Amino acid sequence: MTADSTATVDSTAAGDTDFGEVSRLKGVAFEYLTLGASLVGIVALAVLLGYVAADAIGVGAADPAWFPVVLLALAAPTLGFLWYAARTPDVLDVIEGLSVRVVGGLELAVALVVLFVVTDVQFLFLLYTVGVLPAAGLYLYGRATDDSRVDFPVPLAVLAVGLLAGYLLKGPIDTYPLDSLIGLWMLGVPVAASLGARWRARAGTAVGLVVGVGVLAGAAAAGYGLAAASGLGPEVGVVLALTPGAFLLSYAGEVALDEPVGRRGLLFPVAVLVGLLAGRLLVSALGLAGPEPWIDWGFLTSAPSRFAEQAGLYPAIIGSVFIISLVAMFSFVFGVGCAVYLEEYAPESGYGGMVTNVVQVNISNLAGVPSVVYGLLGLGIFVNLVGLGFGIVLVAAMTLSLLILPIVIISAQEAIRSVPDSQRQAAYGMGATRWQTVKSVVIPEALPGILTGSILALGRAIGETAPLIIIGLPTTIFAAPTGLFQKGAAMPMQIYGWAFLPEEAFREGVLAAGVVTLMVVLLSINSVAIYVRNNYQRGS
Amino acid sequence: MSTEPTDITGAAGTRSLRELAVHLAFLCCAVVSVLTTVGIVGALLIDAVGFFSNYPLGSFLTGTNWSPGITPISFGVLPLVFGTLVVTITSAAVALPIGVLTAIYLSEYASERVRSYLKPALEILAGVPTIVYGILALVYLTPFLRSTLFPNISTFNVLSASLMVGIMIVPMVASISEDAMNAVPDSLRQAGYGLGATKFEVSTGIVVPAAVSGIVSSFILALSRAIGETMIVVVASGSNARLPAVRYDQLLGLSIPYVHPADVFLEPAQPMTSAMVQLASSDIIGGSLAYDALFAIGITLFVITLAMNVVSELVVRRYREEYQ
Repeated sequence: MTADSTATVDSTAAGDTDFGEVSRLKGVAFEYLTLGASLVGIVALAVLLGYVAADAIGVGAADPAWFPVVLLALAAPTLGFLWYAARTPDVLDVIEGLSVRVVGGLELAVALVVLFVVTDVQFLFLLYTVGVLPAAGLYLYGRATDDSRVDFPVPLAVLAVGLLAGYLLKGPIDTYPLDSLIGLWMLGVPVAASLGARWRARAGTAVGLVVGVGVLAGAAAAGYGLAAASGLGPEVGVVLALTPGAFLLSYAGEVALDEPVGRRGLLFPVAVLVGLLAGRLLVSALGLAGPEPWIDWGFLTSAPSRFAEQAGLYPAIIGSVFIISLVAMFSFVFGVGCAVYLEEYAPESGYGGMVTNVVQVNISNLAGVPSVVYGLLGLGIFVNLVGLGFGIVLVAAMTLSLLILPIVIISAQEAIRSVPDSQRQAAYGMGATRWQTVKSVVIPEALPGILTGSILALGRAIGETAPLIIIGLPTTIFAAPTGLFQKGAAMPMQIYGWAFLPEEAFREGVLAAGVVTLMVVLLSINSVAIYVRNNYQRGS
Repeated sequence: MSTEPTDITGAAGTRSLRELAVHLAFLCCAVVSVLTTVGIVGALLIDAVGFFSNYPLGSFLTGTNWSPGITPISFGVLPLVFGTLVVTITSAAVALPIGVLTAIYLSEYASERVRSYLKPALEILAGVPTIVYGILALVYLTPFLRSTLFPNISTFNVLSASLMVGIMIVPMVASISEDAMNAVPDSLRQAGYGLGATKFEVSTGIVVPAAVSGIVSSFILALSRAIGETMIVVVASGSNARLPAVRYDQLLGLSIPYVHPADVFLEPAQPMTSAMVQLASSDIIGGSLAYDALFAIGITLFVITLAMNVVSELVVRRYREEYQ
């Protein structure tokens, strides 16, 4: 548009139409050339991923009529609703809020279930009950009563003593509650307390109590109900009911009360369900054969196999989630710590300033080191020097943490830097110490930016393969890892292992299903990051 | 406040103690990043020195035969360097023009609305795991090329690997170049329009030359990324360390040596990163020559990419000075 107007001005001013026309043609051609260049990579990737998805779904087996029928049945209500929502931003916001809670809640649920699978739940239960819970209670009490002696040193001491006691008690105690009850105790009580507190703040103590008790009772009922209906364990049901379920319901309740226009968005899931049901009915009524997907429940829950039909990704999924949870812990703690130090504590002038400068340059250089070299770092230091073992989960997690550490540091620094200095000055002016300022002003303000950067970095870590090969993670493993020092598995490693199998079914179906799983996990991680950025970050 | 003696018994004491503890904790986090660098250099150097004390540096750098597993073993790095160079140059030929044109579109032509869709879409290109790009090249792109343009292309080949590396590094070139173009002061553009220049002339004649140092820096960073890229080349370009066959043509009674492009692009090759992965996944034993060779290539790769990152940083600094 701008090109046109400039060209018009040009031609009238010069009074020479020929010159104007020629230059206009060149300009328009150039604009389309640049537009085409911008699209070429995106289109190429989209086409190739389209082929992968078609292979993963097994399009070949389906009736040609199956796709239009299902698409129409599913898409008509869904798209119709979205078309309506597109004109009412409030409704669109609610749909976005719902989807993100489903995606994020499911991610969290998978991570927690993996934690249940791979760790000694009863030991965690002990540590939590005698260590974490009393310490957290004391801390909150200290915060509530403003007693500075209680809110830091005492809880820390209690935590240390409690953890030690838990460790010592592990031997003597041999009776524990069921895993599902432990899940309710460790996850349900905090979730119920936080949601109850939230509702108490907005609707009074009675409502808060009802919500808290309701969440606990609902999670227990839903957990056992789901377990009975689907064959999954009750602990899986409890986790599912608590992470996407409780938060989704609480969000829906708030929307229904607060947003007279937006609450129509709550009908969106109904529209999708109607579409799904209609599609199912139509297909069976018309007797259409569906596709034979490689990616299905069996693929996600069974171990790898020599036979393509039985091959699954389960150990690799568990391994990836295990590794990524550890990476998230390591890289978040050290990355944010380093960023806070560099932005808030590090000396800026003199010899100290020079050291700070060197550290800064060093971090940006680390960001450019090829990932395969980080693999050598893991092999040389963690495997050979420390002697942790070849191809184990802990080494993989530490190597990947170091790999994404520079990215986390740099993005956290940017977020911290964007907190206005006036807010720090105001905190100091009220007599706050540096740590109090950092803790209650800087970090809360910068947290959305920090989270966005960290989540995107985790997305990168989940697809990394080269360093894992170097530190000796096996490409195929038949059982999920259950401890830090066990041989691990990871989704990209399993995909790499499948890539070179000569069998056609592996190279097309199974491989494509693996790639699709990895991409779905990656995109859902990134979409949560984008949501955090869009909704919580202050406009710069 | 500072003149009073420190009271370590009351609340103030806990407070200053806590301040110190927190300060030290954050300092420890910062030290991790330094230790990482020390660890990388240390881990690479120790085993690389072990390698070079048993295998002459001259033969490593100038040898034309890479066969770490099969006797007679030989560690000439030139075929690997050749593989890396071909992949890097080819992917650069794809990515640099596309990236710069994309940057021009984003910074000069695109409306806010188009930009808000295009930029995240481009970021996805950079976020796709490289193993996925490798699979796409091996399973979909190579058969496509075989059925359309090159019937003789090998299953593992340099061309499709390089095309994929090219697509992967486009967003890097585009976003850094776009930043550079956005930093060009608007007064320069206005001056151009004032002289009667068209949008095309302003973009190509004023904005691009003014942003050239930023664009160059994006090129260097993208090349460094292409050199270090591992999984695409491991999966798609095979593991065949070789220099291309030299053919001879009779011309005026002389036999002229030449290299046929098909021998370079349509055949397998092995870049340095790919050789490292092959060494690591074969059953080599710690302390053996082949094991140490892994670290020798690693340090070669590290030094090359580090040098390129530093050069790019210097170019950007120079460019920053111009407009501040």
